[in-house]
Amino acid sequence: MTTAGAQATDVSPRITVGTQEVGLTAGYLLSTRLKHYPTKQEGPAFMPSWMITLTDPIGDSWYRGQISLGAEFVYIQYQEPVLTHGVGFTPKIKYTFVAQDRIRPYAEFAGGPFWTDLAGKIPEQHSQFNFILTAGFGVSYFLTDQTALNAGCRFQHISNAHTSLPNVGLNSILPFGGFSFYF
Amino acid sequence: MKATLSLCWTVIGCCGLIVTLTTGCARWIELTATADSSQEPSVRVIARAEQVPLVMDSVGITRNGSPQNLSLETEQRVLGTLREIGLFSHLGGTDSAEPPANEKFIRARLLFDEAIDPHPGDAAWKGIVIGASMFILTPFIPLEYDYAAHVILELERWDGQVKRYESQSGGTAHYQLFGATSLMIDELKGHVTESCLTALMQQMVYDTTFYTASSAPVLERPIRSVSVKSKRSTLTPVSMYTSSGK
Repeated sequence: MTTAGAQATDVSPRITVGTQEVGLTAGYLLSTRLKHYPTKQEGPAFMPSWMITLTDPIGDSWYRGQISLGAEFVYIQYQEPVLTHGVGFTPKIKYTFVAQDRIRPYAEFAGGPFWTDLAGKIPEQHSQFNFILTAGFGVSYFLTDQTALNAGCRFQHISNAHTSLPNVGLNSILPFGGFSFYF
Repeated sequence: MKATLSLCWTVIGCCGLIVTLTTGCARWIELTATADSSQEPSVRVIARAEQVPLVMDSVGITRNGSPQNLSLETEQRVLGTLREIGLFSHLGGTDSAEPPANEKFIRARLLFDEAIDPHPGDAAWKGIVIGASMFILTPFIPLEYDYAAHVILELERWDGQVKRYESQSGGTAHYQLFGATSLMIDELKGHVTESCLTALMQQMVYDTTFYTASSAPVLERPIRSVSVKSKRSTLTPVSMYTSSGK
């Protein structure tokens, strides 16, 4: 009984349909060269985001989880190879595994338009208007039933969908950390 | 000329954004018409001296067939509805003491079976489409959340006779993405529960004479009905699309 009572007081976030999440994520972008091109872009990235939960938990096994949809604003300050900037807006979908109460892994995917003045200064991309695609995994650790710390890693691809040439694309990984507030 | 064109596009953009945000927040609830909901309110008379107390013996809650923890909120709501009809002299919850066996009182057992369908597959696909459209399609793609309840109330008289009442109701919340709130789900559940309880009370009121103190003598050797029932629901899903409007 004592154990049950103690567990009842543990953090157990009650995230239902319509629960909203605002968060701020920051990380450091590291280049991954999939082809033989010289640019090794890197720099800090900041991503404020908003999401809304679309479903109650689905499934009964380890994959039990919830889907949420939202959008993210992306700002990247490229410090290498030259100091430049990039901004983008990406709708985002996330699947959060809720089998554990406090620790909730998630997978996310986002994509949208991205503008950067790094283009034109590197051989891979010449047009400033591009698209950014992001896929990643992370883990949320709930401090309370409304606040969580997040950490994870993303893969990012930036290219212009062949709207102009050259369009080799820039690939990078982004280890990140952040926090979220649920309401 | 260029400035005028820019202003024009800015105004159009702002209007589009306002329309998307306002229409994207819409939500409405459809309720199923229950069999008893069309009945006229029934009125019966009971003398105060004929009223007996009612004690809640057990409250069972299942959700999509799985047993759930006891919800005091549900119990309080049922007791509140019973209080409103005024059939019983006193109402006691599951935590209150039972009157002595040689006194006349009614023992109540409640089973509340909920069926929830948030349409997760639909929501996922629609979410992807809405996201891919940069939220422009939000006003045109509604999402759904179904909730149905089947309530069984068993009332056991002091002489061991049992009356069983049943009602079921359901509803669907339709909402646009930006209108999704947990409040909306609570509203849907509230309407469905209210509909179920109203139907139950209508059935009970018809049996007013069954619960009067003079309807049966107290047994010299009081009995108690004993039963074990499976908590697994044998109900088929309630169709929730024959709407009668909010």
